[in-house]
Amino acid sequence: MRHLNPALMGGVLLLAAALTGCASGPSFHQSAEESKSAIRAAEVAGSMESPTAGYHLHLAKEQLARAEALAAAGEKERAASMLTRAEADAELAIALSHEQDERADAAEAIERVRKFREDNQLPRLSID
Amino acid sequence: MKMTKYLMLVACAGFLAGCAATVPMELTKARQAYQYANAGPAAQLVPAELYKAEQALDRAEASFLKDPDSFQTKDLAYVAERKAMMADALASIASQKRDAAQANRDYQSSQSEIIAKTKEDLSRTQTEKRQAATAAEAATLAVRQQARLDTQQRSADRAALDAAAKFEAEQQARREAEQRTAVAQAQLAKVAMLKEEARGLVITLSGSVVFASDQATILPAAQSRLNQVAEALMSTDKNRMLIVEGHTDAQGSAAYNMDLSQRRAESVRAYLISRGYPAQFIASRGIGEVRPIADNASPEGRSNNRRVEIIVQPGTNQ
Repeated sequence: MRHLNPALMGGVLLLAAALTGCASGPSFHQSAEESKSAIRAAEVAGSMESPTAGYHLHLAKEQLARAEALAAAGEKERAASMLTRAEADAELAIALSHEQDERADAAEAIERVRKFREDNQLPRLSID
Repeated sequence: MKMTKYLMLVACAGFLAGCAATVPMELTKARQAYQYANAGPAAQLVPAELYKAEQALDRAEASFLKDPDSFQTKDLAYVAERKAMMADALASIASQKRDAAQANRDYQSSQSEIIAKTKEDLSRTQTEKRQAATAAEAATLAVRQQARLDTQQRSADRAALDAAAKFEAEQQARREAEQRTAVAQAQLAKVAMLKEEARGLVITLSGSVVFASDQATILPAAQSRLNQVAEALMSTDKNRMLIVEGHTDAQGSAAYNMDLSQRRAESVRAYLISRGYPAQFIASRGIGEVRPIADNASPEGRSNNRRVEIIVQPGTNQ
């Protein structure tokens, strides 16, 4: 080991690192599928009905396309990194979509209370 | 050589300083997004999500220190910004859920409030209705009671007035009767002798004045006196029972005297009837000589014993 060729040793280490990476981390294909799943979930959640959620869904799709393009160009590391953007945007789109639903539900509940109290001549509440 | 090394160090420092100055736009936005989320309700409502954003930013910062302009740094910063935005969105969701839950509780409490108010109103209405009915009943009773009292009062007043009037009338009648009696007695006293006895008022007429000797016919001279007696009796009370008794002296037989006294009594009775005194209230009887009021031995005594007595009985016909 003491007389081992440094170039050879470096190649061995590089190979080991590559093998380790393949074994522990997901492949681009897997990561892309996860991003696509997140995008579909955002669509199902109704992100296109909200301007902000729809914008981030659009960004997610763009990032996914760019990642696939990078992957196709052989830049898999950049492609994988780009996928994290896509997935983050898709997840944010889902959250924003839910936020809009919750906001609408809360407004409806508050309006229901306000109208009920008004119809029954009760004093207004602070939440109104 | 030394100069070469120094220039290389300066170049490296300049390079590092340039890197530090050129923070990627993604990292700048990530920092801002995190600060915004950290200042908002996320720290309280979704601390775990905010922590994830913080970790993502830390990774971006670490990458920036290691390789400021690398795509990894930019991508990590981009993801960190989205994590911060996610924390903010999730905090907003939690806040909206909280508001909705509060609104739902308010709705339920409002319903309960309305139900309680309705029950209270109903109870109050029923109470007021009962009170009104009670008051109406009391008012009706009071009106009836008052009417009854008024009627009783009017009856009592009328009775009192009637009683007073009756009492006054009786008093007046009594006074008038007493006056008439006094007048009559005064008149009688002028023509006859009056005497109050247990059998009544006794009016004694002298037989010598009324009748001729041994006769039962009333002398014309005595008629005016008998007229006065009759008027006095009728002015007092012509419904009183009168008993006319004839008396003689002791001269002659007793039977004769009895017959004479009876005829004389009857003559006076007939005369009073002829003057208007009711026949059914006058009786007559002969007493004869058996009840002298004076000594028959003297002429004066015998004159007193020849008499007619009219006894006005006290209230026998009432």
